[in-house]
Amino acid sequence: MRASKGWLLTIVVITVLSVILLMPTFLGDSLPGWWGKLFPDRGIRLGLDLRGGIFLLIGVDSDAAVDHELTGIKDFTTSELKNDKVLVKGADIQGRDLTMQFFSKADLDKAVKIADDNYSDRADIDDSGLSLTFVLKESYLVDVRNRAIDQVKQVIENRVHELGLVEPSIQKAGADRILIQVPGASEKDRQRIIDIIKRSAVLEFKIVKDTGPNEETLLAKYNVTKPDELAAQNLELYPGDTGNENEKYFITTSEAHVTGESLSDARLIFDEFGRPAVGFNFKGEGASKFGELTENNIGNRLAIVLDGTVKSAPTIQERITSQGRITGSFTPEEAKDLALVLRSGALPVPVNIEQERTVGPSLGKDSIEKGRLSMIVGGVLVIIFMVFFYRLQGLVADLALALNMLFIMGFLSAFGVTLTLPGIAGLVLTLGMAVDGNIIIFERIKEELRVGKSPLAAIDAGYGRSLWTVLDANITTLITALILFWFGTGPIKGFAATLSIGIISTVFSNVVVARVFTNYIYQDKKVTALSI
Amino acid sequence: MDLIKPNTRINFVGKMGKAVVLSTVLILISLGSLVYHKGPNWGVEFTGGTEIHIKLTKDVSIANIKKTLGDVGYPPDEVQRLGLQGDNEYLIRFSTELVKFDQIQTFQKKLESIMQSNAEFRGGSILRVDYIGPKVGKELIEKAIFSILLGCVGILIYVMIRFEFSFAIGAVLALVHDTIITIGAISITDKEFTLAIVAALLTVIGYSVNDTIIIFDRIRENMKRSEKPSFKEIVNEAVNQTLSRTILTAVTVFLVLVPLFLLGGSVIHDFAFTLLVGVIIGTYSSIFVASAIVIYWRKRKGKAA
Repeated sequence: MRASKGWLLTIVVITVLSVILLMPTFLGDSLPGWWGKLFPDRGIRLGLDLRGGIFLLIGVDSDAAVDHELTGIKDFTTSELKNDKVLVKGADIQGRDLTMQFFSKADLDKAVKIADDNYSDRADIDDSGLSLTFVLKESYLVDVRNRAIDQVKQVIENRVHELGLVEPSIQKAGADRILIQVPGASEKDRQRIIDIIKRSAVLEFKIVKDTGPNEETLLAKYNVTKPDELAAQNLELYPGDTGNENEKYFITTSEAHVTGESLSDARLIFDEFGRPAVGFNFKGEGASKFGELTENNIGNRLAIVLDGTVKSAPTIQERITSQGRITGSFTPEEAKDLALVLRSGALPVPVNIEQERTVGPSLGKDSIEKGRLSMIVGGVLVIIFMVFFYRLQGLVADLALALNMLFIMGFLSAFGVTLTLPGIAGLVLTLGMAVDGNIIIFERIKEELRVGKSPLAAIDAGYGRSLWTVLDANITTLITALILFWFGTGPIKGFAATLSIGIISTVFSNVVVARVFTNYIYQDKKVTALSI
Repeated sequence: MDLIKPNTRINFVGKMGKAVVLSTVLILISLGSLVYHKGPNWGVEFTGGTEIHIKLTKDVSIANIKKTLGDVGYPPDEVQRLGLQGDNEYLIRFSTELVKFDQIQTFQKKLESIMQSNAEFRGGSILRVDYIGPKVGKELIEKAIFSILLGCVGILIYVMIRFEFSFAIGAVLALVHDTIITIGAISITDKEFTLAIVAALLTVIGYSVNDTIIIFDRIRENMKRSEKPSFKEIVNEAVNQTLSRTILTAVTVFLVLVPLFLLGGSVIHDFAFTLLVGVIIGTYSSIFVASAIVIYWRKRKGKAA
């Protein structure tokens, strides 16, 4: 019996590779500097449940993006028609449809022309009676939603990265969710992260028409009872948060001449009383628009509206083009974070937190220690058991098991699999299941010996006949592991990945590694009895 | 060394009638417990809500925790012990209706101040906070059920390709059997049914099929031989031939699962419990249930028994 040189070489190569890949995991920062230039310097990644940190799943309201899109179509069509002296009777948005009503057939025809010229690529346009309907095309709808989630992701990325935390990860999860993971974040960071992410940061500049301490009396001055009814007078009602008891509510112009999109920068400043405030600059067109707005309204008050609340309302003294500031009752921290979200831009659509998980660092450390302990105890028990039961062959199986574990860790490192707590449990389980292949083969060899085969023939027959048994048994397990990987999220995905890698590496160790070792032991020898 | 004496011939097939009774009883108990407990004790991942995992320095009764939290305006839905007795770890659960996302922070502050002022809670710490919105939970339940079903179908197809249809039916019914009884054990012990438990269940499915396939493989091999005993005898011989392997593998898996169960810490505890139960049931079903179904199915289809 000769040992195969090819397989031996393969085993040596994989072993060396695994050791190289694992060096960063075990040595960490004590690796020499040149290591990172030659080899990967990232070891096994630990999941949030092991390192501690924050896991946030954010739902993006992509319906709102569709709504915005339709509102945009409505506004554009309305303003185009205005140039043609056509008045729209009414408009209604429902789901993915926009319906506009007109007073005459002639008006409708003009509208149809505008619609066909501008929107035939993205919507199905239909007219019946005196109304015009836009139905967004399916492909465009997908586009709008995707764009919304991409924008949200970009904005959140900007915001989280500016917080200066270590290794935050922001990914899309499914069609309308974003997954944010910040390892090692503390309890204090948690609230900041959540506040920063949830903040829409829609900043608008409007002109104050009136203020008052309560909603009803203020509305009554304009002969309306509900805030919505102000729209007919091109006005809007906002709650105020300026610290003045007599200005709990503001009535402003409804048109926002300048918005936060025109900001080039925002930062924490202190006003003349030493109170924290947010200073900002305008860029390009925004600056000239803001100049125009302030020039035309000298003596009036400017309403700085942030996320639907008037934050401050200074009186306009002169034409301002380049910069402004938002004062209010901020702590320095709040002003800093507000500046941050203004810099990174507004969220195009609202988001809400659908899942949050915060793991304290002590739980993770505890889990790793306990996982390691149970792995060592379990591993030692299996190793002793195999030697006790199978003698020399048991030792071969143990050696193969040790290499198997090394390979699995190496692969985990190579594929960048995140090791989670269930993943550790999966590893421990693999340790127990890994010798199954050896047991199948050894039991088979014993059977072959019993029917009178010579030791070497029995080894051959044992390995040969068991090959498909081992493969069949492991492929079925692999099927369940892959399904878990496909459908699982977070820690479960890590578990499935660990299990899948474990199965593949185990089969290799069972049928190749153990065989090659066995061959080396018995090659060129006259074997009369097996130690099995 | 031999675990089972060579040429042992235990009449497993003859005991399959008794096994049918035992399995039926176990399944009925499992279903009964599920009905009694009104379904699995779904974890917060599935129902939506908030879960707070705390560790205290001494043993505090569940009633006391409930009362203390109720007194500060946050009566929890449920308080549960985690891990082993001496761990002093507890899981506090709120439904989404009780505590909205924005309130969690306030609650945490209250809890922290209790952990400073109240003598019983002093020195305790918050290990983990989980909030799951109702929408995510619903999707996760669907995903979990779907992935278990898909796992079954995948195995059914593979076994059908590699063996014959009756074997596939045997393997799949055996794993359904194992899954029901394992879920039953979780239900009886009133453990929380979490995502990690779903992962454990899928692993049990994998183990059970693995075990079954090895016996099937031997049945197939024995069927190819020239002498043709009855199918029942072939099955019995195959179960006997693979018996030592079946037991030895179960032993090695136990050797790692028991330390995991006892030393793995509170989070892993239930996961290891599920696997332990699953491995016992899976081993039993490979020997007694899967083959019995194959025999029955072939007989029904008029093949020689």
